[in-house]
Amino acid sequence: MQVMINQIKTAYNQAIFDTDKVTALKIVHDALVGGLSPEDIVFKVVVPSIEYMSTSISQNCKSNLAQHFLTAQIAAQVTEEMISKFAIPPKLIGKMVIGTSQGDFHGLGKKIVIGCLKSQMIEAIDLGLNVTPERFVDEAIAHNAQVIGISSMMLHTARGENGCLKVRQILNERNLEHNIKIIVGGAPYRYDHHLYKIVEADAWAENGIDAGTVIAKLIEETKP
Amino acid sequence: MITAMDRLIAAANGKKADRIPVFCNLLDQGAKELGITLKEYYSKGEYVAEGQLKMREKYGYDNLWSLFYVGKEAELLGCKNIIYSNDGPPNVGHMTIKKPDDIHNLEIPNDILGHREFEETLKCIQIMKRETGGKNPICAYLTAAMTMPALLMGMEKWIDMLLNGPFDLRDELLAKTSDFFRKQLKAYRQAGANIFIYSNPFGSTDFVSMKLFDNLSMPWMEKDLRDIDTSGVVYYCGGARMNPVINKVIEKLRLSTFYLSPFDNIDEGMKTIAGRALGAGIINDLMLVDWTKEEIRTEVKRMLDAGMKSDKFFFGTLVMPLSIPDENIRAMLETAYEYGRYE
Repeated sequence: MQVMINQIKTAYNQAIFDTDKVTALKIVHDALVGGLSPEDIVFKVVVPSIEYMSTSISQNCKSNLAQHFLTAQIAAQVTEEMISKFAIPPKLIGKMVIGTSQGDFHGLGKKIVIGCLKSQMIEAIDLGLNVTPERFVDEAIAHNAQVIGISSMMLHTARGENGCLKVRQILNERNLEHNIKIIVGGAPYRYDHHLYKIVEADAWAENGIDAGTVIAKLIEETKP
Repeated sequence: MITAMDRLIAAANGKKADRIPVFCNLLDQGAKELGITLKEYYSKGEYVAEGQLKMREKYGYDNLWSLFYVGKEAELLGCKNIIYSNDGPPNVGHMTIKKPDDIHNLEIPNDILGHREFEETLKCIQIMKRETGGKNPICAYLTAAMTMPALLMGMEKWIDMLLNGPFDLRDELLAKTSDFFRKQLKAYRQAGANIFIYSNPFGSTDFVSMKLFDNLSMPWMEKDLRDIDTSGVVYYCGGARMNPVINKVIEKLRLSTFYLSPFDNIDEGMKTIAGRALGAGIINDLMLVDWTKEEIRTEVKRMLDAGMKSDKFFFGTLVMPLSIPDENIRAMLETAYEYGRYE
């Protein structure tokens, strides 16, 4: 069985690297017909593929945006399909709300994060674009989310007064900082790796693929 | 007296003028210079030209920009809403393409020069040309066929269509955006611009795999640039790295200037170019907001030490956010002038 899973994993990873969605989905569906359980498809093929992509980014920088996009898109699609076939409904690790900062209308990074989180059993509530600081906090409370994700494509929306700094201020004023953590991401943070500290976030992720691991850690930190 | 244009031509030919060319992309700062809002500033070509001329005079760098903001191109193709901010560049607020029929119905204007949405840009170029008498390079910003759809339908929808299809619809759109690029290039050249920043993040392997670059990006770039005058066209990947593709671009597209990414290794990039083209080392200008003057000097000197091993090198900036303090802009430029001077 392990040999079969390894073969499927290798073929699936190759399809993702080739940005070939049709082949990636065929591999998954063939595996299901061949006897692999829906749980194994998610946890032994899809999730390791995200981890593999993350490793390849950190080790050789040879992955690209197209691969990240498809990794997330296919992971979300397959996970959604497989979860409906799980013997027992999966247990969620936690929840987050995510959106772009006020004045920012660039949603691709957020979309990649959401796609990857699904298979990692983290529920992501998409708040969309141009989200006010107050809404970030209100929605996090309403959904009982442990993490707020703020994506920004431009420097002024990342470090402006209506971005993460204001979200931090509201969390502080409402005494919520131990219950709700903030993660930021987007282009400005890749250009300045210390920027997340300047905007008073708890963490940042270099790309949507790596975000899942960081978010899982933040969720863990909120647990008593 | 050596002009900025002399300096650029000398560098392009591997000759030494007084110093290397220094390009600085100050855009939104022009509104601050004139004491008006960004929305007002970008409403008139006269304002943008005045802002550009004042800033060039104030800081002494070589180039002028005819670019208002990146979404301006989308307005030529039907975008009806630009969202302004007081502290950063405007955003495209209306997607021209929302459904497949919008692609079928997308019309590329034949007469860009006479188009209502080009009127202010044309005025801006004409004023700058008149005021400088051709002594300064006037830059135009043109989005490549492969990237333009992101401005018309949003990046997420475009990358989905690019990778997953429907491919006939994708190619229909690319044929139109390629036609648009070619017509824009001609219009900007006629208007008086002489440096054409060919912006294509999809021409970087940070965006697509080398396989996709070879099979899709390159063929569409070849279509963009086939049988037209490409003098002054600068290869630029919107801040994404280009070192891995430089060789292919020189061999297949014959472009003669490369505007590297701040993440490209300058030494490696210039070695790959190997005297066949002009290369620009680009500073990570987001760091200029917080860096000290000493840090700025150290970084600019490091860049010039790497790049000036080649005679075909110049210094450039990327996005130059509004929040960079004036003294840090000066520190960067003064260091580039000082260390970029030839003996």
